[in-house]
Amino acid sequence: MEKGLIAIAAALAVGLSALGTGLAQSKIGSAACGALTERPELSGTMIILLAIPETMVLLGFVIAYLILG
Amino acid sequence: MIKEMTKVQIVGPKTHRDRCIEILHELSIMQIETVLEEKEGFLKKVPVEKEKLEEKKRLEKIREALTELLSVLPTPSSVAPPLRLKKQHIYEEFERLAPLMERAKALYREQEELKEELEMVSRYEHLLRGFVPLVTALGGLKNIEITGLVVDRTVPDVLKLLEEELKRLTKGAYEFHSKVIDEDTIAVVITYQKKYSPQIRHIILGEGIDEIRLPQDYREMPLFEALKEMLKKKMVLPERIEYIKRELETISQTHRHLLEGLKRAVEDAIDEIEVLYYFAESRFLFIIEGWVPADRVDHLERELKGEFKEDVLVQVLEPAAEELDRVPVYIENPPYIRPFEIFLRALPPPKYGSVDPTPYVALFFPTFFGLIVGDVGYGLVVLGAGQFIKRRWKEREFIKNAGVVLSLCGVSAIVFGILFGEFFGTLPEKLGFHPLFERMEGLKLFMLFTLGIGIVHTTLGFTIGGLNLIKRGRTKKALEKFTSLILTLVIILMVAAAYNYIPEGLLTPLVVVFIAGVALLLWLEGVVGPLELVRSVGGILSYVRIMAVGTSSVVMAVVADRMAGMSASILTGILVASLIHLLNIFMTFISPVIQSMRLQYVEFMGRFYEGGGRLYRPFSRR
Repeated sequence: MEKGLIAIAAALAVGLSALGTGLAQSKIGSAACGALTERPELSGTMIILLAIPETMVLLGFVIAYLILG
Repeated sequence: MIKEMTKVQIVGPKTHRDRCIEILHELSIMQIETVLEEKEGFLKKVPVEKEKLEEKKRLEKIREALTELLSVLPTPSSVAPPLRLKKQHIYEEFERLAPLMERAKALYREQEELKEELEMVSRYEHLLRGFVPLVTALGGLKNIEITGLVVDRTVPDVLKLLEEELKRLTKGAYEFHSKVIDEDTIAVVITYQKKYSPQIRHIILGEGIDEIRLPQDYREMPLFEALKEMLKKKMVLPERIEYIKRELETISQTHRHLLEGLKRAVEDAIDEIEVLYYFAESRFLFIIEGWVPADRVDHLERELKGEFKEDVLVQVLEPAAEELDRVPVYIENPPYIRPFEIFLRALPPPKYGSVDPTPYVALFFPTFFGLIVGDVGYGLVVLGAGQFIKRRWKEREFIKNAGVVLSLCGVSAIVFGILFGEFFGTLPEKLGFHPLFERMEGLKLFMLFTLGIGIVHTTLGFTIGGLNLIKRGRTKKALEKFTSLILTLVIILMVAAAYNYIPEGLLTPLVVVFIAGVALLLWLEGVVGPLELVRSVGGILSYVRIMAVGTSSVVMAVVADRMAGMSASILTGILVASLIHLLNIFMTFISPVIQSMRLQYVEFMGRFYEGGGRLYRPFSRR
């Protein structure tokens, strides 16, 4: 039972943070597409902005790792 | 690194002004700035002389003519580099080339007209194809009107009705021919005596049938003649167009280098006139001010002395405080680091006096990439791709540099691949090779290692930023930076103590330092300071991506190998493994690059990079 709960907790830590990252990236991505049609030279900055929310899923991953011990 | 710049002033007699401009242009080391007028003093901005302005106008006309011509000439696959022409030879060369330019322009105009005509004739092609056999059969009859019609096939009974009306009007004296052109259209040719023309046209209009409208040039001709002419044109035009194209190509091949050289010489000459707007003059003297890299001031002095002896003086000026923000930024790195300057392209130029991150990026970017990929096979592919890009686009600086960076990333991936014992996954292990460090087995250790890298990288970023601020006399800002760094490290040490990675007894002193640090930060920065700490700690934790993305890549490679092993036939196994490896290689070109780039831009450069600089653009020849 306890093992199962731990596994669920780890899965939630990664899964929910991945969802959050996805949501943020989808918004950034669509805004970036709009901006890039106007100013293509911003592509570098847009890639960086798109990669920023990935921190969330990585933190989720670290937490999951700590939960699983 | 950002080179030190010196503000210089050049003063000399007006008689030497034009020669001095030429020398500065040739030297290409001075960014010329506007000399500020003295309200009370003798130094005044004077309008540029009339003859200079007239010359500029003449040169601009030549430039316009050359630009126009070069834009219409086809670009040959290989051409000699632009010829270097002297200013004195511009008008002579332009006159010599004038007949050729006229001819090229006339040829181009003719080509465009013919192309337009061909396009127009082609639009009538399907009609021509439908009508020609009919018209040929009826051609040559006098007092007979021939009318071509396009009838919509989808409207039923139109043809029947039309024919009945014709029969009634002409009392049977008509010919009616039709031919299906495509699924929607039927071409119809009717012939009748000219006297029935008004009534028949009236019927055609009433039925809503389209009469063929011929292009303007052919409208006066009888239909038969017009179609015959159009058909003839369709045969002849491509040949003539092709001939003109070849002629223009020949002109481009033989004269492009000369035309481009002339254009450059003209642009240089215009620059030498336009630069006068920046100067100031007194009754007898001219004054030029601008920025020169500090280590080139001597060179400038020597060159001017060599030409003018003591007549022209170069003096070093102390820039005013408000000018410091406007000092141009000249970034110069050793050749082996220079390709990494491409990372600055995504950001505004750094401010003068701040730090150029290129040397650090040159060290960390390939290292992180190598740590993530860590596979000899994939590294070789990346190295190959980098070398290919470098050679294929050697004329395009940015792409060539990207190729060099990719090659170095490939080398780094190979080095870490040897360390991790990976060659397209864990193949070497199966062959009995024991790696120095097995990533899949030592996940925890690898994670701690990447966190360690994060601590080192972020600390370096903070330290560079803090030291630079001290150098520029911004002590308070520097103190903020160092306090943030110490607090970030203290938080990490506290976590480490809580998890027994360091002695638990250290926890209490760490908490004390933490409280004192937060109080200091609150005093220095307000509430924002401690909030920024969360970002810093999160940033360090996010270095775990090196391990996470790397592990996912190695898992993919292992899956590819395992799937190959599971397959019954060797051929299918190889095919499946190759496909998965290909996908993984493709991902290798995207994910590790973005992740490594992100760590450089956000976690590292974010600690010290100050944008808003003005790039150094010396007054130089094209």
